[in-house]
Amino acid sequence: MKDSVAQPRKHRSVARRKLFNNSFSVICLLVSSLAIVVLATLLVAIFSTGGNWLSFEMLSGSHRENNPEGSGIGQAILGSLVICSICGLVALPIGVGTAIFLEEFKPKGRLLRIFHGLVQLNINNLAGVPSIVYGILGLTAFVYMFGAFSPIRVNDQPDHEIGATYFYQTKTLGGQYVRFPAVPLIQPVIKIKQGRNASKINGDKFKLNVVSASTEKSKYANQVNETVLLGTEAKLSSRNGNQVYEAKTIGGEPFNFPAEATYSQFAKIIEPITVSNSDGDTFSLNVLSKSEPIPTDPTILAQSVFADSPDPNKRSSASIFRENSLFHLHLPFSKSVLSAALTLALVILPIVIIASQEAIRGVPQTLREAAFGMGATRWQVVRSAVLPSATPGIMTGAILAMSRAIGEAAPLLAVMGGVLGTTNHLSSLMDKTPVLPVTIFKWAGDENQGFEHLAAAAIIVLLAFLLLMNSLAIFIRYRYEKKLS
Amino acid sequence: MIRTILNLVIFTSLFALAAGCGSPKTSENSSTKTTPGSANGDNSSLSGNITIEGSSTVEPISNRAKEKFNGSFPNVNISVSGQGTGNGFKALGAKECDVSDASRPIKQKELEVCKSTGINFYEIPVAYDGLTIVVNKKNDFVDELTVEQLKQIFREDTAAKTWKDVNDAWPDKQISIYAPGIASGTHDYFVEVIGKKDGKGLRADEQTMLSEDDKALVTGVKGDKFAIGFFGFSYYDANKDDLKAVSIVNPISTKSVAPSMASIESGEYAPFSRPLFIYVNAESYQRAEVKEFVDYYLQNIVEIVKDASYVPLPADIYESAKARIVKDLPGSHYLDAEGNKREGSVTEVYTEANLPK
Repeated sequence: MKDSVAQPRKHRSVARRKLFNNSFSVICLLVSSLAIVVLATLLVAIFSTGGNWLSFEMLSGSHRENNPEGSGIGQAILGSLVICSICGLVALPIGVGTAIFLEEFKPKGRLLRIFHGLVQLNINNLAGVPSIVYGILGLTAFVYMFGAFSPIRVNDQPDHEIGATYFYQTKTLGGQYVRFPAVPLIQPVIKIKQGRNASKINGDKFKLNVVSASTEKSKYANQVNETVLLGTEAKLSSRNGNQVYEAKTIGGEPFNFPAEATYSQFAKIIEPITVSNSDGDTFSLNVLSKSEPIPTDPTILAQSVFADSPDPNKRSSASIFRENSLFHLHLPFSKSVLSAALTLALVILPIVIIASQEAIRGVPQTLREAAFGMGATRWQVVRSAVLPSATPGIMTGAILAMSRAIGEAAPLLAVMGGVLGTTNHLSSLMDKTPVLPVTIFKWAGDENQGFEHLAAAAIIVLLAFLLLMNSLAIFIRYRYEKKLS
Repeated sequence: MIRTILNLVIFTSLFALAAGCGSPKTSENSSTKTTPGSANGDNSSLSGNITIEGSSTVEPISNRAKEKFNGSFPNVNISVSGQGTGNGFKALGAKECDVSDASRPIKQKELEVCKSTGINFYEIPVAYDGLTIVVNKKNDFVDELTVEQLKQIFREDTAAKTWKDVNDAWPDKQISIYAPGIASGTHDYFVEVIGKKDGKGLRADEQTMLSEDDKALVTGVKGDKFAIGFFGFSYYDANKDDLKAVSIVNPISTKSVAPSMASIESGEYAPFSRPLFIYVNAESYQRAEVKEFVDYYLQNIVEIVKDASYVPLPADIYESAKARIVKDLPGSHYLDAEGNKREGSVTEVYTEANLPK
């Protein structure tokens, strides 16, 4: 009897345990399949909405307002690729360098050890900072450069720039535009637009303030002799053999500052000059006075301007424009591709560092010891033993980090604005460009329903890029593991 | 599905190609080939850069203008970005843009920034945006509403619970409200009409759903027989098969008017139509490319505005806008010498007498 009582009890206990075991594995299965179901739903939804919209035109075109059929993501793909590669080129050396410092050059001195710990702590924390925060940082650091340089303005040339050529253009009587190269000149009269260093008659240097007429007088009451009104004219003169601009402050005190050659915004055409048109033909511009009869021959008309005209539509004044070379750069970077790439580099830097650290840590200690045993210095160990075997791991981490960068929209909205399409393809790093995530974001909210499909198609392209990058990372890791064993 | 996979295969093999090739499409509809001012001119000779920033409501109009202009002048590089009216005016004041898009007139504070940096601007109204009140397609009891009834429904102090509270003939069902969020210019404009004078805002109770995403509003009204909502006319126009627009009783003529391109343009659809603006930096306008662009914009404005599903303003408004530029009369019509905002329709306010002396 005893047995018959104990047996079922024991049996029940085993059954319950088995039941518990089985039900738990079912729960686990359900939970993990939930993730797959969500992903599958997402993919099916995206492919059914956007799949049919993928076409060569869609992949090469650019945004067209209210015309989803004619719109495309060619510019956005190019923009994303360019930004992502610059971002990688910047983040990789800095990231790997930091990782080597943190792992291989652990300092011994007390102060340096604290510094080392601080860097490590910071990087671990930074990895979790939301990307929009980096966007705001990028806005200050790259777009405006902490206000260290005079800001980029639409009707002024940047103070610090390379790779730009300036031309003047004017409309001829025939309606065509002709251009001629602009030369920086020391203008006889300039208008003071921004604060600068200046000196008084007795040679004292001071910082000149510029205020507008609407500013209250009380705000500069105690420095009237160091302040001028915006747009005050300064005249060229010579002082001790140097060319300077002279003007007077609000308080009536004369001051001067060194003259620099600048481009003037407009050039007056008073005598025949050599110009070229869009076909590259060069000819001498025909300058007509007001009293002269207007020629009727269209060829001559296309090469003529009035010397001066009361009609603003026929003004012979030529305005300046800039032609950028591929290497055009200016400081600050303003809202541009370069600012965007550098900001994204900040976003992925902690990820690159942590991945590189992991890779370096994964290099067997015996390898280092063997190298040290051969008499190698620490740097030689790092260069010839550690880095070569850690490179595939570092590359994997870097590619995964870049695949995060290519999908970021928030920081780009902050540092480049929500550009949907530009007229021309990217011509320099100072241009703005549409990118895939921002394009998807803007299209998804467009009132034209067609753009919803197009956004889905763009998501497919973005996913394809991510897949491509991730499989590259897996491929590299696979090769590496095979080689080391 | 097979086609999708095929497309994907085509894509992967072509993506390298696509990134490298693809000159900007300059071929446009035949209608864009007209080039006012220089009929026989060779337009590819005009170069330069133009930066446009501001309202995302006006962005489609500027984008359309850009496309049409680039169809004729392919070498002028124009970048349009819609970061909001406030940001647009900020950029205008900081000399970061040539043209600022705005879904409301400039405010006194923004004007002062422009003055302090020495910016003059031309204020140009470009289109009407008609605010449209919509109900569910199956709603068969509401065809028209008076401004008084709208106040009853939408204002925080009256906040009608059921449709019966508004009109005894209507069903005793709870009203659900779908409205744009407080960051939206559309929200501001609606509140201005129904309650700003009395210091009252839009109701914010459990019957009200606010969203910055117009699509969410459309979905909300579509799915609820007793819902009501509002947004820009162009958004209604794009979704008119799913929604029913309510006619609004014009408070002056007391006629009930349905929102349409024609009724908004004629001004009969009142008081829910607001003007949209562009502000052109006067110094930038001296540059050949900006001048050509703005002139082109104004020359083709009716077509541009209609293409972007907005409603054109009366022709004489555009004529006076051109006159402001030709006569070089910068400044805002909407602010008086003391910095107070002038109220009224665009035809009343946009007069030369209202410009700063």
